[in-house]
This record gives sequence, structure tokens and C-alpha cells, in this order.
Amino acid sequence: MVAIRGLHISKSYGHYRILEDLSFEIAAGECYALFGPNGAGKTTLLRILATLHRPSAGRLEILGRDAIQEREVVREALLLLAHGSHLYDELNAVENLSFAMALRAASPTDREVKVALDQVGIGAFAELKVRYFSAGMKKRLAMAKAILAHPKVLLLDEPYTSLDETGMVIMNRYIQALLKEGASVVMATHDRIKSAEVADRAGVLTHGVLRPLTREDLKTCDLF
Amino acid sequence: MLNTIIRKLQRYKGWFGAAGGLCLGLGLYYGLVASPPDYYQGEVVRIMYVHVPLAHTSLLAYTVLFLGSLWYLWTRDPVVDNLCHAAAGLSVFFTAVALITGSIWAKPTWNTWWTWDARLVSFAVLFLILAGYLMLRTFIDDPEREARYAAVLAIVGFIDLPIVHFSVEWWRTLHQPLSISMRGVSISKEILIPLVLMGIGFSILFVYMLIVRTQMLYLSSLLNAKKGRLLSQVHLAKVEP
Amino acid sequence: MFFFALIVILVFSFSFSMDQQAARELIAGILWVAFAFTGIIGLGKSFSAELQNDCLEYLQMSPAPKGAIYLGKVAANLLFIVTAEVILFPMFVIFFNLDVVEDLPVLLLIFFLATLGLSTVGTLFSAMTVQIRAREVMLPILLLPLAVPVMIAAVEATRGALNGNPLALYRHWIELLVVFDVVFTVVSFWVVELILDS
Repeated sequence: MVAIRGLHISKSYGHYRILEDLSFEIAAGECYALFGPNGAGKTTLLRILATLHRPSAGRLEILGRDAIQEREVVREALLLLAHGSHLYDELNAVENLSFAMALRAASPTDREVKVALDQVGIGAFAELKVRYFSAGMKKRLAMAKAILAHPKVLLLDEPYTSLDETGMVIMNRYIQALLKEGASVVMATHDRIKSAEVADRAGVLTHGVLRPLTREDLKTCDLF
Repeated sequence: MLNTIIRKLQRYKGWFGAAGGLCLGLGLYYGLVASPPDYYQGEVVRIMYVHVPLAHTSLLAYTVLFLGSLWYLWTRDPVVDNLCHAAAGLSVFFTAVALITGSIWAKPTWNTWWTWDARLVSFAVLFLILAGYLMLRTFIDDPEREARYAAVLAIVGFIDLPIVHFSVEWWRTLHQPLSISMRGVSISKEILIPLVLMGIGFSILFVYMLIVRTQMLYLSSLLNAKKGRLLSQVHLAKVEP
Repeated sequence: MFFFALIVILVFSFSFSMDQQAARELIAGILWVAFAFTGIIGLGKSFSAELQNDCLEYLQMSPAPKGAIYLGKVAANLLFIVTAEVILFPMFVIFFNLDVVEDLPVLLLIFFLATLGLSTVGTLFSAMTVQIRAREVMLPILLLPLAVPVMIAAVEATRGALNGNPLALYRHWIELLVVFDVVFTVVSFWVVELILDS
């Protein structure tokens, strides 16, 4: 079953073309790793998949629904973990998670929140204001948010940055669990080793064009 | 479809320019030379031949801005956004000149540079709304967001302007220190012809300027796009494996 | 916010050397200038919490309807600004020795309606300007020309109430405030999706 289908997607800022005629399909339960040089448009593509931007041309279908016409339905199943952690500094970890879930019309019990925080290893910091969190802790809190949200499509923008060894292990374990549930994952990353552990397919985005990669390609030094 | 109309129309811009110039020329001749001076106001009334059509044209430009903004939100075509930007720039220019010429006319006629008449205040507010619109466009970097936000501002502003006019009108009837009639000029045929000619002339001239300015904005955004692409390619080319 | 408005009131009282008669004419205007500045400071902070850590992005991609988020922000702004006004107003009464007890309900209604008018458009513009350069100055530049009807109506209605005029004399100003509020709440609610969404 196809989870994400992009048909001839282009994106321009004004007259500046960033993405050229991209077509791709990602199946349910599949993890896709997206590589590319800085400024190639990886983040833009992820943001289009997250319905944050509209494509200038082309069509995007997520779980069989048009991503623009049925935005609100699609967004219930989507989650993007981006560079900014989407956390309010003045609230503590638990409050942040409750608010983030409330916006998705979900109300997890206190126990579920605690379990999620423990799973990512920051259970001890539940009552601490996020202002005092380190970058890695914020990334882990974002992971806890994903755990509570049960997305059917998870989009990750550079998930391994700021995480320590344990954090990266937790991340990959979580991704694998999510894939087993039948969700799909798309991650933009520079880390070939860590992403190879979970990715089923990969591609590289250069000059707005997407080129698929095989496992052999991933082993060589020069992707672009 | 309407998009191709704009693109086709720009071939004929020279004709618009010429027609506008002709109307204005005729209008100015009739207005400045052939028509009689007003009984009460003397030669000063001739400013009206510029002031009134300018005011109408600036409102025309504002309406074009409003409709263009709606059109942009419907089609999301960047050329339509260039059109809106052009219309706003022209509208602010016409409004400013209308206000200044009105002020110049007012001093000898009413012995004051400014009065709190509903129309004047509405025009001053219009000027401020347009200035705010242009400032907003300057301060947003992302072209797609800039176009969207500007369109929303134009629509909200357009809906508000009649309300502004009404509220000032009511306020004026309360606090009127002296009763000044805007209709200081009675319309006779010799005055009507140049006025209408100037009105038509300015409107046609506006269309011409709109086409030219839209082209300018379109080309400059194309240039920026090419520059951006060029720079990114240079950056990527420098990366050594 | 509150102290800023207090300072504005003090500066105004020093600027005009006032006797009772002159004061009566100017009070409503001074009051609303103070309230407007207070309101603008409050409105400017509508989305400031969302600026950290890209929280705005999360709001944008959440399934929550943007209109609901907008109304929530408007309600919060309304609450804060009206509270500030209610605290400030007694200061005015004291400084300018006003006689207001009978008119209090009407005055509160005017405060509420005018602040709602400022908040609906102000919150919309705050969403627009939060991510741009020169955001603190852009909000008043965009808001004040559009809020002219609200200011005129608020000042005239307040003046009518403070002077003890019968309601019939100044109720059309209150009606104007209601019309403005209804029109711009609807319009803003309808377009906020274009601002907070793609």
C-alpha cells in the first residue's frame, strides 16, 4: 500500500525553481533516506511532505488523500521532527507534550506520558522547564512527542544531529518499531551509517532532481 | 487564461501610453487654456483638473489591487503578484500627488492647508495603508509568503476603507468648526469636458504604467532567481570530493 | 504594559496644563491613546511565544483548525488588554477627578467592544508580522490606519458616556464598534488560514 505519492512536484520561490518535477512513491512500512548537499532542497521537500508548503506544481497524496485539499485529515496522521524542536521554553517537558498532543486532539494519560519520557531516557527531567534542556535532550523530547502521537507518516529532518550514542540507538529502535506498525518514515540525513541501519531505500537530491541510490552507492565516498 | 491576457496585453502597451498621453494632452489644453476660470476661485481651480482625476485613478488602482489580490489567492500566479505590487506602488504615488495637489488648491481657496473632511482623511488613511503594504512587502524575504500576506493585507484594507470614510464622516458632522463644501466648483460644460478627458487620460495612463511596472517587477524577480541559481551552482561547483 | 500606559497618562497630564473644562474635552482622547498604545504592546506579543524553537511551524502543521488557534489568541489578547484597561481606568478617574459611577456598565461595554476591534485585526497582523524584520514597528504601522474607525468610535462613545449624555446621543458609535467587530472578526477568521498556513 502506498503511503506517500508525489507526482511531478515542483517548488519555486517566486521564479526561483528549487525542486524540479519530482515523482516518487513510498510504501507503508518503508523507510526512505534522503541525502543531498546543503541547499539542495531536502528540507523544502520534507516541508512539502509535511504540508507546510504547497508545491508550485504537481500533486501530493498522503495515505490516499490529496495533501492540499484534505490537509486537516492528512495532518492528523503526519508528524515532522524538524530542526527546531517545537518546544515552548517556559513550559516543562510534560506540559509541552500535553500541549503538543492537545493540538492533535489527543489526550494521553499521565502514565503514557511518563512511559514515553522514560523510553527516550529523559524521565528524570519531566518537571524541568525546557529552557534548561540541552539540544540533545530537546531532540529526545521531540522523539517522545512522536511516540505519543503514533503518526502513520513520520518525517525526520536530520534526526541524528545533537544525539549521543544512546540517543541514536533509541532513535533507530523507535523507527524500527514504527515501521513494524506499518507507518512510513522519510528522513533527510547526512549520516550514512546510522541511516543504513533502518533505511529500505535511499535517494539523493541535487539541483532539485531526485536520483535513487542503491546500497552499493551508499558505500562509496562520493554521493554528489 | 486571464494570465495569457496579461501577457498578450503587454504588446500593446505603447498604444495605451500614446492614448493616455493624447487624452491628457487634450485635457490639459482644454483645462488650462480653453476653459474659463472659476467665478470665485480664479485660476486656482485649474488644479482640480489634475487633482480630481488623480484621486479617482488612485481609487481605481486600489480596486485593481484588491481584485488582483483576490485573483492571486485564487491562482497563486507570481505574475499576478507582480501586478498587485505594481498597482500598489502606482496607487500610493497617485494618492500622494492627489493629497498634495488638493492641499495646494486648499490654501488659496479655504485659507488652510488641511481640513478634517471625510474624503481627505480617508485619502490620508489610504496613503498610510498603501505605505504599510509596501513596507510589509519590503520586509518579508520569502516571495511566496510576501505575496500571500500582501494579498491578505490588501483585502482587509479595502474592506476597511469605506468604514473609515463613514466613521470620519459621522465624526465630522459632530465637530464641524466651519462648514466647507467640497463642491466649491459648479459643473458647467466647459469644465466637464476637460475633467472627463483628464479622468480618461489618467486611467489609460495608469493601465500603461501598470503594464510597464508589472513587467519591471517580473523581470527583476526573474533576475533574482537567476542570480540565486547561479550562486548556488557556483557554490556546489566549488565542493571538492 | 500597565506601567507603560500609566506613564503615558502622566506625560499627557504634564503636556496639557488643564483646567476642569478643557480636561473634560480631552479626557476621552487621552484615555484611548493610552489604551491603544497598551493594546499595541500586548498585541505585539501575541505570537512571541511561538518564535522560540520554531513553534510556529508546529502550529502550522497541526491538524487543529487555524481559525480556532486565531480565536484563542484573540481571546487571550482581549483578556489581557481589557484587564489592563480596567486597572488603568480608576487611575484616570483619580487623576482627572471624573464622575463615572452611573456610566460604568456602558464604559465597560465600550472598552470591551473597542478592544475586541483592535484585537481581531491586531492579532491577524501580529501573525503576519511576527516573522518579519522590524516586527515591532510594522504592527502599529499596519494596525493604526485600519483601526481609525475603532479609535474614533471609542473616543466619541467614551466622551458621550463621561459627559453624562443620554445613551441615544452616542449609541450609533457603539453600533459602529459592533459592526466593525463583527465584520473584522469574520473577515480575519476567514483569512487567517492564509497567514498561518500555506
